[in-house]
Amino acid sequence: MSTRKANRSSFLNLIVDYTVLFILIGFIVFMAMVKPSFLTWWNIKNILIDVSIYGVVACGMTILIISGEFDLSASSQYMWAQILFVSMLNIMKNPLVPILVTLVSGLLIGIINGLIVTKLRINSFITTLGTMTMIRGLCLVFTNGKMVSTNNAFVKAVGSFEFIGLSSFFYIYLIILVVLSIILEYTNFGRRFYATGGNIEVARLAGINTIFQKTAAFSIMGVLCSIAGMMLVAQLRAGSTQYGTDLSLSCVAATVIGGTRLSGGSGNALRTALGMLVIVMLYKALVYLGLQAYYQNLVKGLVLILVVMFDLFMSQQRKVMVR
Amino acid sequence: MTGESRTGSVRARITKILRNQGVLIGLIFIIIVASILEHSFLTMSNLLNILRQASAIGILDFGVTFVMMTGGMDLSVGSTVSLCSVVAVSVMNRYGQDVGSDDVVMFAILAAIILGFLVGLINGSLIVAFNGRIGETFIITYGMQIVVSALALLYTGGHFIAGTFAPGIYQWLSTGFVPIILFFTIGAIMHVILAYTPFGKQVSFIGANMDCAKMSGIKVNSIRTLVYGICGICAGITAIIVTSRVYSASPLQGNGYELDAMAAVMVGGTSQTGGTGGIANTILGVLVLSVLGNALNVIGVDANAQLLFRGAIILIAVGLDVWNKSSNIKEASK
Repeated sequence: MSTRKANRSSFLNLIVDYTVLFILIGFIVFMAMVKPSFLTWWNIKNILIDVSIYGVVACGMTILIISGEFDLSASSQYMWAQILFVSMLNIMKNPLVPILVTLVSGLLIGIINGLIVTKLRINSFITTLGTMTMIRGLCLVFTNGKMVSTNNAFVKAVGSFEFIGLSSFFYIYLIILVVLSIILEYTNFGRRFYATGGNIEVARLAGINTIFQKTAAFSIMGVLCSIAGMMLVAQLRAGSTQYGTDLSLSCVAATVIGGTRLSGGSGNALRTALGMLVIVMLYKALVYLGLQAYYQNLVKGLVLILVVMFDLFMSQQRKVMVR
Repeated sequence: MTGESRTGSVRARITKILRNQGVLIGLIFIIIVASILEHSFLTMSNLLNILRQASAIGILDFGVTFVMMTGGMDLSVGSTVSLCSVVAVSVMNRYGQDVGSDDVVMFAILAAIILGFLVGLINGSLIVAFNGRIGETFIITYGMQIVVSALALLYTGGHFIAGTFAPGIYQWLSTGFVPIILFFTIGAIMHVILAYTPFGKQVSFIGANMDCAKMSGIKVNSIRTLVYGICGICAGITAIIVTSRVYSASPLQGNGYELDAMAAVMVGGTSQTGGTGGIANTILGVLVLSVLGNALNVIGVDANAQLLFRGAIILIAVGLDVWNKSSNIKEASK
């Protein structure tokens, strides 16, 4: 804990902590000069909706990366939540049961992921690569690759609800973000994620149930993916295996831009929210500047690589400084 | 040695055989089940077909084996195959009339291999630049996958390229026994490199313990970079064999190959953390997966449902590997 404080005081770390804010401001200024119409209220509102839906998953990814793990299956879980929620809504009118079923299914998938990683001790990348493929297969078998849509009144109401000019999604995201930040910063349960990710051996010797912590992180991720999937259904009134294929990697990129180390043990959900804002604004700007879809992919891939290189560079600088 | 330990050792020997030859037993089991369920499975033409399919993808898997032996991972191989395919076919289309068929085939093959090698070197040097571990390797190669597949799509404008100039030599590459012979020849060469040369030993050493390898004076960075280059070369060769079969190339040709390759390598028994395994294991892994895929097709399992099998197979293979390792450690500590 004391080394964390000592590092924090140094100048470099101050910059690292606020890099995301500088990037965000720089980006907004750039867009304001190149395309002033990018910053209209209508566009900002749309950006915030996307940030809210992806941001919910990014919160979960932050907790996972803090505890030293990773989830590639987030996008498949997100698709599965959409498809399950829509098909349940088509069977019954009352939204309560579908919501509960979707949440429980997310929780179960998270627990399965967590148990495979912790009990069988398989690398989380490979585990979630396997579950990603399996859940995707499940979605395709379930829908035959077609889009499913719903006309439920409750879903419509949530999707069109607005308060002070901001959609309901933004408030859902705000609540989740604040609750998770408080848990991470101020509760024992939350602090144990940092301990587990920082040094798992030390955490175990200190009496922390690391298996429980990691499984909990995966379960939170599963539930958040379900919530995000239901939010997307509320927005589009449909679900498909085509929505959110880039979700996992966008969340990783947002988390790392927000200053969370991939090696685990440090990080903060609020900064991830800023990182998500940067990522979504970048994606929207690519569309807004009229780039062809393939160029957009090119830029997304390059951003991902650059972000990881930046993370590696910074962690090396830190090592040099500690010496 | 008391009698008790001897009976124990018989049982230990059986489990050891099961563990070490599990893949082979699995292969025989799949063949028996499939031939009982469907008579058309065990025909000469179907078996040749399986081998032919296995050999194109299998050459890619040799490269992936090298990468995974160092404890690395390459998710960009699939899109590298796509890029090399479209480039090879378009090279032949453009220069076929001017240069003549023999030279243009050489030219296209060289172009695909060099391109694959370059993509691999970029992968490797990005990973090595700041001493990336498995997590970073994963994300960097995933980023490269997106970038390279975008490049392939941009190169063709999203269209599929049909070969307009079709030299006989090129098509010969995928007829009859030629791809199968190529597969086993390249496999033999790769096996010798990996198992008997100093370079191969260093590759295994890096996978077993990278820090230790670095301290013993092995040039870890250049070997890790080179290994990704080798993987790229294999992607180039695969691209040529795959395109020569249909004599056309799609920018989405290699989508998903990286998962199949990883699955085959891990099913064969090369460890996900590196250090143990080899080319012979990979050949077995490739055969198991292609026989299984063909059997599922022949029996009539839906393509979407096969995704479920694929994911499960990766998990089971890795689970077995972890189990194998932990029981080996237990045995050693006895």
